[in-house]
Amino acid sequence: MSEKVKLENVSKSFDGVSVLQNVSFTVADGSLLTILGASGGGKTTLLRLIAGFDSVDSGSITMNGREVSSEALSLPPEKRNVGFVPQDSALFPHLSVSKNIAYGLSHLKSEARAAKVSDLLELIGMGDHKDSLPDTLSGGQRQRVAIARALAPNPDVILLDEPFAALDAQLRSKLREDVRAILRAANATAILVTHDQEEALSIADQVAILREGTVAQIGSPRSIYSQPVDVSLAKFLGDAVVIPGVVASGKVSTQLGDLIPIVAQPEGTKGQVAIRPENLYLQPDPKGLAVVTGRQFFGHDALVEVKTAAGIVKARTSGPISPEVGMPVTVWVRGSVNFYPAG
Amino acid sequence: MVAFGVFVSILPLFYILLRTFQIGLDELVNSLFRVRTLELVYNSLALTFVVCLTAMTIGTAQAWLSFRSDLAFRRLFQVVAILPLAMPSYVLAYAWLSVSSEVNGFFGSWLVLSISTTPYVFLAVSAAFNRHSGAGEEVARTLGRSQLTVARTITWPAIRNAVFGSGLLVALYTLSDFGAVSLMRFDTFTRAIYNAYRASFDRNAAASLALVLVLLTIILIRIESRSGTLRTTKSSGQYRALQTKLGKWQVGAQVLLISWFVIGVLIPIMSIIYWTVIGQSQSNLGEISRALANTVSYGLAGGLAVAFVGLAVAILVVRYKSKYSVKVEETILITHALPGVVVALSFVFLVNQSVPSLYQTSALVLLAYLALFLPNAVAVLKVPISQVPTGIEEVSRTLGSSQIQTLRRVVIPAAAPGIISATAFVGLTVIKELPATLILRPTGIETLATRLWSATSVSAFSAAAPYALLLVLVAGIPALFVNREIRATQNRSNLVVKEADYSDSEVK
Repeated sequence: MSEKVKLENVSKSFDGVSVLQNVSFTVADGSLLTILGASGGGKTTLLRLIAGFDSVDSGSITMNGREVSSEALSLPPEKRNVGFVPQDSALFPHLSVSKNIAYGLSHLKSEARAAKVSDLLELIGMGDHKDSLPDTLSGGQRQRVAIARALAPNPDVILLDEPFAALDAQLRSKLREDVRAILRAANATAILVTHDQEEALSIADQVAILREGTVAQIGSPRSIYSQPVDVSLAKFLGDAVVIPGVVASGKVSTQLGDLIPIVAQPEGTKGQVAIRPENLYLQPDPKGLAVVTGRQFFGHDALVEVKTAAGIVKARTSGPISPEVGMPVTVWVRGSVNFYPAG
Repeated sequence: MVAFGVFVSILPLFYILLRTFQIGLDELVNSLFRVRTLELVYNSLALTFVVCLTAMTIGTAQAWLSFRSDLAFRRLFQVVAILPLAMPSYVLAYAWLSVSSEVNGFFGSWLVLSISTTPYVFLAVSAAFNRHSGAGEEVARTLGRSQLTVARTITWPAIRNAVFGSGLLVALYTLSDFGAVSLMRFDTFTRAIYNAYRASFDRNAAASLALVLVLLTIILIRIESRSGTLRTTKSSGQYRALQTKLGKWQVGAQVLLISWFVIGVLIPIMSIIYWTVIGQSQSNLGEISRALANTVSYGLAGGLAVAFVGLAVAILVVRYKSKYSVKVEETILITHALPGVVVALSFVFLVNQSVPSLYQTSALVLLAYLALFLPNAVAVLKVPISQVPTGIEEVSRTLGSSQIQTLRRVVIPAAAPGIISATAFVGLTVIKELPATLILRPTGIETLATRLWSATSVSAFSAAAPYALLLVLVAGIPALFVNREIRATQNRSNLVVKEADYSDSEVK
């Protein structure tokens, strides 16, 4: 797969306050990159730099092999061939659904344009609404139209700025799958920014974590989740039990037992171990040293609070068979763990 | 375009300053003494003061009664209160003069201008009541405060700015009014300026008086702009505010509101209809239809021209905020309360000195409309433009449209309903305009307003009646609807209340 979008050492500050520092990454043709970060972390700025609403202070942005932004050059948005889907969909309120989609196709002959629009209407499953005005559509429908409109001129990359944030939870996960399918069907290259971990991990080919204006880690959703590069990322990407440990005979000795580090460390190294709650196994045991102190029941699973020698830890268990509060248990750690040497 | 608008806007002020320097201080003082300036100052200020007081009292009472009490027929009174807006002040003056010759001078001017300006106070205070949910009053009552204490400590602070803000607006309106005071033959600045110009083409006297009037106006505007706009929390949803039980006062309130309606609307309208019917046999239909056609042409041309320049300024101010655009807006706003008489005379003298061929042309009339109404047009047009989300502009850019194309394809069409009502608003304002049209129109061109004015000046009441009726029908009543539309748009937007206030008024 070839590179469709490439950022090299992009930096940007506003009024002397640095928002992005040396951000670099590439997006492969036809793939979806999600940029995950807390609000205020520079995600939207990054998207606006790629779209051309702002220009970089230093570094460069290349699309399809063509440099579109650097210190010396900044192509205006209309010359970049990008698609943009903002959070509130921003449909043109005075135009019908099909005219919204056709907006970026004024270079085509009218038959070609009509054909393209009807293809896209079919793709987003909204053929029945082609003459509707935006204010008659639901939030999810608007977002589909916004995506079709962005896809219409065959952009090099389509940029989605928190596209599901304004929707309620149920609709959000449904639309998320639909959008993934639409983007795949169109073989579109896309960058989506979000602050929602689940969203970032579930639909991406690659995830980049943006922290304080820099890319803290980039990789597949699986590697990001199972091997965060530091303790704070481990906590950011979901619940994590963090306990101190020291390397002895190749294992990390902790108060939850001797654990196997994913990456081997020299003897005597001190540091912290991060364990996902689902990797803790609670065995009911009348002689167990740990005791269940609380339980959050979610149906399919439950998050159980256990008082151990290492303090209170949270373990994810199967919902129907989770241990009761007050039950003594023994805590086991499954599989290898991430070990982060101190300092 | 923007530069042209700014240029035309500052011409009158420029002229006045120029004259002041040319005349010199000694001559200025002399000519001010010649024309009884002190008397005029006294007359103008006294009239302004009593009109303000009346409008603030009655307008606030109307608003409180129809929004915060259990007054019977509240909804009806809410509509009735703004009906006087359908009659320009000089139409109202005509109507009352034709009822009785006793109504004239100070008393007549006070009556007519109070009726004309009370709706502005009513609208501003009603808006303040609507923004303020009334939950504060309820909480205060549960905390053991008496009804009177609550009114003083919670209700009054919520509406105080609206009352005083609209009061200042009323003052500006009164100071700059020409039609009503001149028909009532009460010597204020505007009438004296016009007479000085008419009698002798005495530039120095007219210009010196204009200078004093402009100074008074600017002082008022300074006060107005310093009285900050209070931002209250918007009431959420359909909250039913606490309603005071009127009890035995119900009858008194009804009598008060009904009498005000009879004085302000019923009698004037009846009188206009009465005289129209009386004079029917002698009315000159050709003359009337020519005046109507001229009026509509000026309204259309003026409305389109002013709205066109106004749109350019509004887009610049809302979408391309910069030091430069802020200056542009400030410059235009400086002129927002220059009296029509002053603007018209400035154009007469300036044009005679520089481009005499423009004198007494319709083009000059349109320029004067531009100088007079550009601030109002910008205030009204800013709202629909600012309601177009910037997000859709950005999307349009990524879809290959340049900035200019985006304005044409997205911003203007999306704001079209607001732009159309703003254009209608300016057009109707132009139709009602009197002094500039009267002074600048080409010889032989008559409009409804000028016909009404000249017939009333010679007490030809039945000859004037059809023009008064047509003005109410063609400009007044449509203006009520357009203004309601504009207010509704403004309420949906987050722009500060102050702009909503003076876009509604035609202070000239």
